[in-house]
Amino acid sequence: MSSNYALLDEPAQWSAFSTPSPENKNADQTRGLWQSQVVVEGMHCGSCALNVEKALRSVPGVKQATVNGATHRAEVVWSAEQVKPSQWLNALHNAGYEAVPANDHVARNEGKWEVRRQLWRWAVAGFCMMQVMMYALPPYVSTDITMEMLSLLRWAAWVLTLPVMFFSADVFTAAAWRDLKRGDISMDLPVALGIWVSFLVSSAAMFSPDGFFGNEVYFDSITMFVFFLLTGRWLEARLRERTAGSLEALINRLPQSVYRMRVDGEFDSVSLAMVKVGDILQVHPGEVFAADGKLLDGHTWVEEALLSGESEPMERRRGDMLLAGSHNLRETVTLEVTALGESTRYAAIVTLMQTASLHKPRLAALADRIAKPFLLVVLVVAALAAIWAWGESPGKAMMVAVSVLIVTCPCALSLATPAAMLAAAGNLARQGVLLRDVQSLETLSQVNAVVFDKTGTLTSDRMELQYLFTPENLKGSIDLTTPAMQSLLGLTQALAEHSWHPYARAVLQIEKSTAPPPVLQQVQEHVGQGVSATLVNDQVPKQLRMGSLSFCRQASESQELPYSAQDAQVHVFDQRGWLASYVFREVMRPDAIATMARLRQLGVEIYLMSGDKKASVETVAGRLQLEPANVFSACTPADKLGYLKDLQAAGKRVAMVGDGFNDMPVLAGAHVSFAFGQAVPLAQAHSDVVVMGQQLMAVADTMALAKRSMRVVSHNLIWAAAYNAVCVPLAVMGYLPAWLAGLGMALSSVIVVLYSLQLALPANKAPSAILSTH
Amino acid sequence: MDILYLLIPLSVVLVLLILLGLWWAIHSGQFDRIEGEAERILRQD
Repeated sequence: MSSNYALLDEPAQWSAFSTPSPENKNADQTRGLWQSQVVVEGMHCGSCALNVEKALRSVPGVKQATVNGATHRAEVVWSAEQVKPSQWLNALHNAGYEAVPANDHVARNEGKWEVRRQLWRWAVAGFCMMQVMMYALPPYVSTDITMEMLSLLRWAAWVLTLPVMFFSADVFTAAAWRDLKRGDISMDLPVALGIWVSFLVSSAAMFSPDGFFGNEVYFDSITMFVFFLLTGRWLEARLRERTAGSLEALINRLPQSVYRMRVDGEFDSVSLAMVKVGDILQVHPGEVFAADGKLLDGHTWVEEALLSGESEPMERRRGDMLLAGSHNLRETVTLEVTALGESTRYAAIVTLMQTASLHKPRLAALADRIAKPFLLVVLVVAALAAIWAWGESPGKAMMVAVSVLIVTCPCALSLATPAAMLAAAGNLARQGVLLRDVQSLETLSQVNAVVFDKTGTLTSDRMELQYLFTPENLKGSIDLTTPAMQSLLGLTQALAEHSWHPYARAVLQIEKSTAPPPVLQQVQEHVGQGVSATLVNDQVPKQLRMGSLSFCRQASESQELPYSAQDAQVHVFDQRGWLASYVFREVMRPDAIATMARLRQLGVEIYLMSGDKKASVETVAGRLQLEPANVFSACTPADKLGYLKDLQAAGKRVAMVGDGFNDMPVLAGAHVSFAFGQAVPLAQAHSDVVVMGQQLMAVADTMALAKRSMRVVSHNLIWAAAYNAVCVPLAVMGYLPAWLAGLGMALSSVIVVLYSLQLALPANKAPSAILSTH
Repeated sequence: MDILYLLIPLSVVLVLLILLGLWWAIHSGQFDRIEGEAERILRQD
């Protein structure tokens, strides 16, 4: 494996697993800082992550290394002038770990082999354990067993313990040995020590029953212990796969090959790497779009849940944009590629999620730090317990020490926080909420004040018809039920269909006219101004214009229109004069009121700060029933920041919700910030939480989930601490046989992971929600 | 009871044989995608 690392030194290979660091502004990108993602194999516990980081950071030229023990991913920032990828990969190899570049077929293939090896180890331990227990049974149930028969049974048990010791338990032995050689200790050490001490004591007892260590054998305990431990690891790995699954599923979503149009118009299958912007691709139903593109032909529904948070299938017609990473649901379509790889929205999301899963919560970092002193204490306690019991019998003394070693593995403690955080992040990702940093969950759970921006946050991008002025309807009533109104609306909508202008879109969002569609000829869009067309329904053709006032007036005899209609956004004129004016207003997000109620229920104060005029801000504030003292209008960004600092000075933990673009300084100043990523390039949204959908409720949901996560974390920590507090004294006093200690240890880790898994469920189904409400 | 002197070693051999079969099953990929087999019937091709 290590010899292949040299291949990765070619700059052409770097982009497969690396991106230039955001600070790297060099025109020549083979210089400067690069950021690489690798999957590390052979990591088992919290302290391994620390060792890997240490090994990477010791290489000159590696600026930064962050390792996530839960996802086994490492992010390395390195300087292309000072170091080559093979150098730090080899450093990792020398430290006893193998790394595979992530985002790579190899990573997935290696993953498959790792799973098979794990399963095989577990199966060997399982079958041998069952049989060894059979051999251990007769002496318990029968009293007239001959010495010869007993020794035969012991021999058989010993033979079947060998594969468990040398193959199944090799993971623990190898890891412990690797750490010892480096002068380090890890959680594998007490485990390895425990099994080897019991194996050697039992073997000694079997070969010379009258010897120093007595004549008790513990082969059944050893095999059972190894089996429980491997079962625990296996379950943990599967559960992690499920919780981290939604992140992984997103990351590995793009197809490797696509159907691309050849010069002769036929499609053939090519590798995604060969596709360029402007190529035409064919995508079948059920497949994933490999690139951003414009739909050329066909009409389909797509599923964009992970990209936009929109859970309903979305209709896509000719000319619509398609997103890489979304699913094609209905029909075969062709698209023209407009963006690929790094520049797609999908890639921005993946990068964001990868960095998020790498940042360690403070609590997890703490657990990693205390792991080592804790292990030292365990070793000392085990030794003392052995010395204390030595007088009784040396064989028993050894077994007491073994129980102490085994029962105290702090795996549950070190898993408590990351397991919960990861489950929560996975849940949020499925709802279209991305965390830049899992740390923000901890901050979010303490938030007691939320500041909202108005435009684009409390109000949606959609517009709503407020007034419709016509010569017959000078009051602007929007009663559209009359036939005359319907035919006018039909006409306007027919014109609006030919434009992408936001106001034209707003016209189309009014409920569709039931009037027979007008026949239009010579339709022409004047970009930024409006649409002109000839209506040929009547005997005399009409020259119609729809759009801005100045554009409509240009081709009309009469320029007259009522004063009240002059500020309208959309006008309709024919060659003789004015026909209608549409006035639109911003729409509050439909779930805004419910969100406010939910936030109040969570005990959070709500503030509104907007740069908009006083009147319009107060209308919105009134509809949301906000405290007038908490509403600030006509603010500049500096004003907002000032108000925010005042709140923080008053001891509030403040979350800021903005559109992620205009509010940048304010978002950065808040303890934690939300951005609605719809309008903004994700990479530039410098907020802690990015909401990709249109649901304002996501803000409240995320805060509720954050509170739940911290509750789960504290339950986990309490449980792990209580487990150790009860079991260690029992083991020291010799009441806990080794097999039971092993079961307890494996169970304590599995319980922590299982309990954390509730965060991946919706709020009402989770056990902790039920626990805390009853 | 003398037969036990044959049966016990035989049981050891039997376990090793079972493990051999399992080795083949795991490494020929039978357990790679357990849900995949259930889904296969729903696919067209």
